[in-house]
Amino acid sequence: MKLIDRYVTEVGKHLLVFKGREDIEKELRSTLEDMLEERAEKQGGSADEAMEIELLKEYGSPDEVATTYNPHPYLIGPRIFPLFLKILKIVLLSTAFGMTIVMIIELITQTPLMGSEFTEILGDGLGNILSTVISASGYVVLIFAIIERTVPDLGISKEDFDEKWDPASLAKEPDPNSVNRGELIAEIVFTFIGLAIINEIFYIPVFSDTFRRFVPWINAVFVTEILLDIYLLRKAVWDTATRIVKIAMEAGTIVIASIMLYTPNVITFSAEILKNIPESSSADIEIVARIFDIGVLIAFIVVIIVASIELVKAAIGLIRSYTRK
Amino acid sequence: MANTESLDNVVLELRRGVIVLAVLSQLNGEQYGYSLLKLLSDQGLEVDQGTLYPLLRRLEAQGLLESVWKLEEARPRRYYVISAEGKKLLPKLKKEWAGIVSVMNKMLA
Repeated sequence: MKLIDRYVTEVGKHLLVFKGREDIEKELRSTLEDMLEERAEKQGGSADEAMEIELLKEYGSPDEVATTYNPHPYLIGPRIFPLFLKILKIVLLSTAFGMTIVMIIELITQTPLMGSEFTEILGDGLGNILSTVISASGYVVLIFAIIERTVPDLGISKEDFDEKWDPASLAKEPDPNSVNRGELIAEIVFTFIGLAIINEIFYIPVFSDTFRRFVPWINAVFVTEILLDIYLLRKAVWDTATRIVKIAMEAGTIVIASIMLYTPNVITFSAEILKNIPESSSADIEIVARIFDIGVLIAFIVVIIVASIELVKAAIGLIRSYTRK
Repeated sequence: MANTESLDNVVLELRRGVIVLAVLSQLNGEQYGYSLLKLLSDQGLEVDQGTLYPLLRRLEAQGLLESVWKLEEARPRRYYVISAEGKKLLPKLKKEWAGIVSVMNKMLA
């Protein structure tokens, strides 16, 4: 029986399942022993090693056997693939767009038009766009591969992400506590990319030291958001605890964004960039800088409004869940 | 060569769908994996171990089967039996199957 034991252990090594590994090994061992016994009976003797070898040979290599049990032959399976494609497109377009803006700002602020520095920045910028797009795609793939492996089959179906609207869905009254999985996954992806951006994994020339002081706080909010979303994906429904976490998180967002809104020079052209502006175009630069500042202001206000809406939504959900009881 | 390969593939696809129904129909009484394999084979349906065991686990994870370990002849065996949910599903599957058979018989006649 030694060989069967070794064989079973070898299959176990190749299993990629999280739970039930021992069960599989135990079941496989008992099956192989049954088969061996049956063969020995047929041949009218007791099982010997040659018989064992023959049996294991027929059963297949441990690697092959383990593969039949391994639940995820896909990196990203068909169930979430449509959503993956949709989000990948959005992420690629928005990062390429964002990095192009960054490059244009650099071109305007750092060089006299068409000088040698101009082509240099253009070249660097295009390289930067390419590498950012590639690493952003990497993040999206990574996040979806994790979701593929951690979120249970139940609930997520192709229909959730189907663009075709089904009139029958009107008839069903939606459960007010159920979560929108597509929305959650999108939120995880964008929060993750947000984390990468504010921690300057991509090159962003507009963050000041003042901004960097806020980064740990923003990180805390973003990480909470991702953890909460992953938890909700698994749980599929909102409950009191998750709603309270959500409310606290949105409140934190509002506080941080408000403080940043009233802190001067949080996001601006850094001193080095300003140094490089040639004298002649300083007036134009001032206009660009002002437009940029207003853009930043609007962005903070949008963040505060969105967070407030989310906070109110969560609070209403919380109150309703108690009044319904 | 290519022809036999595509024939094999089509046959494999055809059988794959049938196996779930066959397994559910044979698990009204408790069976362990190997005894179920022989039960199916005795009735003319040859199923590969590499197909059957993972399928049993999957059906159990879906709640259509239940399983319990029993010690028999000093050997632990995992016995599978159809669950309440599986029992509810089986008649629907049978009806579906009968529909497919009658449509295909007409089509192929």
